[in-house]
Amino acid sequence: MPHATHPPSPGLQALILCGPGLSLNTFTSTPSTLPKCLLPVANRPMLWYPLDWCHRMGIYDITLITPADAAPPLEAALRSHPVLTSLSGPRPEVLAPKGLEMTSGTAELLRLGEVQRAIKGDFVVLSCDFVSEIDGSRVMQQWMSLNPALAAASFSRRKGGLAVYYPTHGREGISSKKDETDFVATVPFSRPNVMPPTGSLRQGVEEVVMVMPTDTLNDTLDENKQALPIRQTLLAKHGNVKIRTKHRDAHVYFLPLWVKDFAARNEKFDSISEDVLGWWAKAGWQQGLAEKLGLDEVLAGKRSTDDEAANGGSVDEHEEVDATALSSTRSAPAPGRQPPQAFATRVGNSTVPPPRPKLAVPPLLAYMQPASPTQPLIRRIDTAPQLASLSLHIARLPPSDTSPLAHEHKIHPSATIGQQTRISQEDCLIAENVTIGTRCNIKESVVGANCEIGSNVRLTKCVLMDGVVVGDGVQMVGCIVGKRARVEGSSAVGVKAGEAEVDGAAMKGKGKAKQKASAQSGGEDDDKTKLTECEIAPFFVVEAGTEAKGETMKAFDPEGEVGGDEDEDVDVGDEDNEE
Amino acid sequence: MAEQGEPAEQSKTADEPKVSAAELKKRAKADKQARRAAQKEQEKAPAEVPPATNGAHQEHLTQAQGVQQDQKGKATQAKGQQQPKPSKQGGQEVRQERGGPSQPPNIPLRNKAASTAPSKKLPKKDNTVVELLSHLYPVQRRPNLAGVSKDVHPAVLALGLQISTYEICGSSARCVAMLLAFKEAIQAYTTPRDTSLPRHLVSHHLSPQIDYLRSCRPLAESMGNAIRWLKKLIVELDPDKPEHEAKDFVCEEIDRFVHERITVTDQAIAASAQDQIRNDSVVLTYAKSAIVEKTILQAHEQGTRFRVIVVDSRPLFEGKRLATSLMRAGLEAQYVPFSGLAHVVKDATLVLLGAHSMLSNGRLQSRVGTASVALRAHKADVPVIVCCESVKFSGKVALDSIVLNEIAPPEELLLSPIPEKSPNHPAGVATTAVTGKSAAPGKSAAPGKDASEDDEPAKLKTLHDWNSIPNLRLLNPMYDITPAEYIRMVICEYGSVPPSSVPVVHRLANEGM
Repeated sequence: MPHATHPPSPGLQALILCGPGLSLNTFTSTPSTLPKCLLPVANRPMLWYPLDWCHRMGIYDITLITPADAAPPLEAALRSHPVLTSLSGPRPEVLAPKGLEMTSGTAELLRLGEVQRAIKGDFVVLSCDFVSEIDGSRVMQQWMSLNPALAAASFSRRKGGLAVYYPTHGREGISSKKDETDFVATVPFSRPNVMPPTGSLRQGVEEVVMVMPTDTLNDTLDENKQALPIRQTLLAKHGNVKIRTKHRDAHVYFLPLWVKDFAARNEKFDSISEDVLGWWAKAGWQQGLAEKLGLDEVLAGKRSTDDEAANGGSVDEHEEVDATALSSTRSAPAPGRQPPQAFATRVGNSTVPPPRPKLAVPPLLAYMQPASPTQPLIRRIDTAPQLASLSLHIARLPPSDTSPLAHEHKIHPSATIGQQTRISQEDCLIAENVTIGTRCNIKESVVGANCEIGSNVRLTKCVLMDGVVVGDGVQMVGCIVGKRARVEGSSAVGVKAGEAEVDGAAMKGKGKAKQKASAQSGGEDDDKTKLTECEIAPFFVVEAGTEAKGETMKAFDPEGEVGGDEDEDVDVGDEDNEE
Repeated sequence: MAEQGEPAEQSKTADEPKVSAAELKKRAKADKQARRAAQKEQEKAPAEVPPATNGAHQEHLTQAQGVQQDQKGKATQAKGQQQPKPSKQGGQEVRQERGGPSQPPNIPLRNKAASTAPSKKLPKKDNTVVELLSHLYPVQRRPNLAGVSKDVHPAVLALGLQISTYEICGSSARCVAMLLAFKEAIQAYTTPRDTSLPRHLVSHHLSPQIDYLRSCRPLAESMGNAIRWLKKLIVELDPDKPEHEAKDFVCEEIDRFVHERITVTDQAIAASAQDQIRNDSVVLTYAKSAIVEKTILQAHEQGTRFRVIVVDSRPLFEGKRLATSLMRAGLEAQYVPFSGLAHVVKDATLVLLGAHSMLSNGRLQSRVGTASVALRAHKADVPVIVCCESVKFSGKVALDSIVLNEIAPPEELLLSPIPEKSPNHPAGVATTAVTGKSAAPGKSAAPGKDASEDDEPAKLKTLHDWNSIPNLRLLNPMYDITPAEYIRMVICEYGSVPPSSVPVVHRLANEGM
């Protein structure tokens, strides 16, 4: 992905959290070999998307934070994966803090010593499953231009943060009712001074006052007899609160440096999205909360950590010339004395001054993407259906498209395609070195690198990850097939069935769906392999003649699978030989 | 083109049987050729529509080809969409100028609100530009960060964004913010090996920053003065000075500059200007100036009892912010839109104005509309006092607002956000162009419209479409020039001087150092 010119550095560093991927466990049950962030999405490792997004913003200082056991495959992939190595710029650094477990919360992660040391300035936190068509620099521009403190003071403790929320609904083919959502309450941020130019995201920027995942919301509702208690102070301060329940946190946060200390101070914080942002948002209006959370000291710049003493130093005090105070588009903050309230409400921009003007909590802003099919796509991929729908969405993008996600080749030139095989160009994606037999019919599918597809295969709405082998005559609809899995077809039954008997115990957990197949094993092959809406784990072998719908096929015994993995790693070639 | 023409003809033949005869076909062909000759570019879009659908048919036969054609169709469609605008105007404007009552541009010899008046000028090539002021239009207000030099320091980058969104607005605010950002940029600078800091810093490190800021918004006079001072300071550094010492020295000097020329100066000016406010005064001010605000607040703190009238203007509504902060301080403030100026000026006993810049002929350059306020006040014998730091004094001379000014993007005048998908797919309507023709003469609102305009007969144009409305120009100037004779006094840190002393102060303050 050569970028024409490098954008200027925005002075931010990025932390990409490469988590365990709990909801994708069909494919990620062994993080030591295939961590979530390397799962292919439209034939690119998932990690590519946030990396490329950062690069387009001009952020090259990127740290990947991952649990220790996922670090080696991640590093190997960064060194060797053709898609990841084609990214320009320095290779991101992999940080595997000692105390980090697969189950650690994201805020806990921020508190770890290694991470605290790694954060040297304002930073962006991304999740590895973030896919966005929206240009990161447009979001960043909003963060930069709306920072209340003059951004020039780079160690300023008054900078705010910016999160991104996307609508989960209103997107055909991608939205589904089951998508996870968050509960977000926002108030309008001060109106823009002039109408922002077209293409600016300013209209969508609002100030967050409450945020929690829908799970937490439901718990709260259950506790309170289906009522959501909201403090009066919120309504006293903000008269115009908008509550959204269909948006989802994109897990992209532009955060100022002080958030690092904020997270470090509050041991109770578990996740960034729920706790750090949730409490920060509340501290903006709830009386006394900011002090309770230690925000006053954090913002006062008590540098809890060692370094920086050299940076601040002598000038800090008298240098408090505030250019924003001079600005003609700002009004001066209220003096200590309480003004008569009657005035304040008449003027649009005024807000009732906070009771303690000493502590102004910097605003937590959010870009709330409007729900409209014409909007560029922002998504998180944390379930298998999303993985599939997003892969297919990307496959549908024409190669010339302006979207940064579009592939250059819909069908890679190195793919071998048999005669009379039909592949619908506009919605398929075929990667390198794919072999496809004769008389296949492939529609709306993504086929990963080095896949082998036999003859007479029908694939519709399928996602095949790398190195999948599909036998002759297989029919699959809406399936997601993990790396190097094998779906056996009719012609191979004779051989395969015998083989399956032999090493079945070692590497094949048998799904229930296969009972039928095993009953007939060795028998004749009248029935073809037909899979509908199945998820097939990596390295799994689906026997010939299997018919299944809506199943998840994976090995039961994780240890057996690990053993199997190692075998498979060595002898993928063997499998080929056997055929 | 050949391939495009074909499908269009096919559709023609489909229509034909109703009226019969090859005559019709001929006529249609001739008609089409004429149209094509008239506006080649315009043609592209309508002719392009059928192939796109054709492409869909072919897709089943040869997929690869279908896709290709689709793409081509799209590409040319896109081109077609973009191009009609200029060609449209090119076509119709010539006609108009002859037919319509063309007005000679009456250039005011010296004037105040001159710049607000010419909202309609001779229509020329470009619909978006007012011809008389075309020299003032910035090359392009930077829409995003793409193409910014990568040497730009993050702090400057952020500042540029804040300036272009008017988060930081006002001459002195921008100047201070710029200097603080430069301090960061200088601290981040390391001298390359074969050169020295005084020789390298300005030309290679600071100038990209300055260029970037200039592309965000034209530099203010105060910024220009500060940059000149800073460059001089750096160039005159001792080349043998160790780098970190030199950087520290420059940063300290910047702090001192901000402190002396702006912070302390503001206090001095406010202290001397507040004496002009007496008990029972009625102070009228326009838009928002940091010094005026400070003056008023200080006078209020001193216990003077007075009233403030804030006159405000679109589109920035800076006066609103001033009124807000005055009310927060407990002052009695009256907020009036610009249209109410004549009404309130009678009540005023004093007019306090801020400045963007004081020009050497004693004229004041300030937010557009200031000149009218000063004129009104002068007519009503209300003294007009300008508060201005000497950083904002300029060696330039201007008689009118046409030579020196800044044109902001006209979109900023719009009240509601621009709908996202307004010009999206007009191509689909283009095939009905023939039917649209009959309706054309009935339109009285837009007599200058030619055939190309009739493609979308139903669409009601709003101000958002000002780009495509012939005879309409939007102009959004930032400043105007107030003649010196309306100004009673200029208060700067050198004391209260008449406007005629501006060049002296300028020489002392900005060139003497």
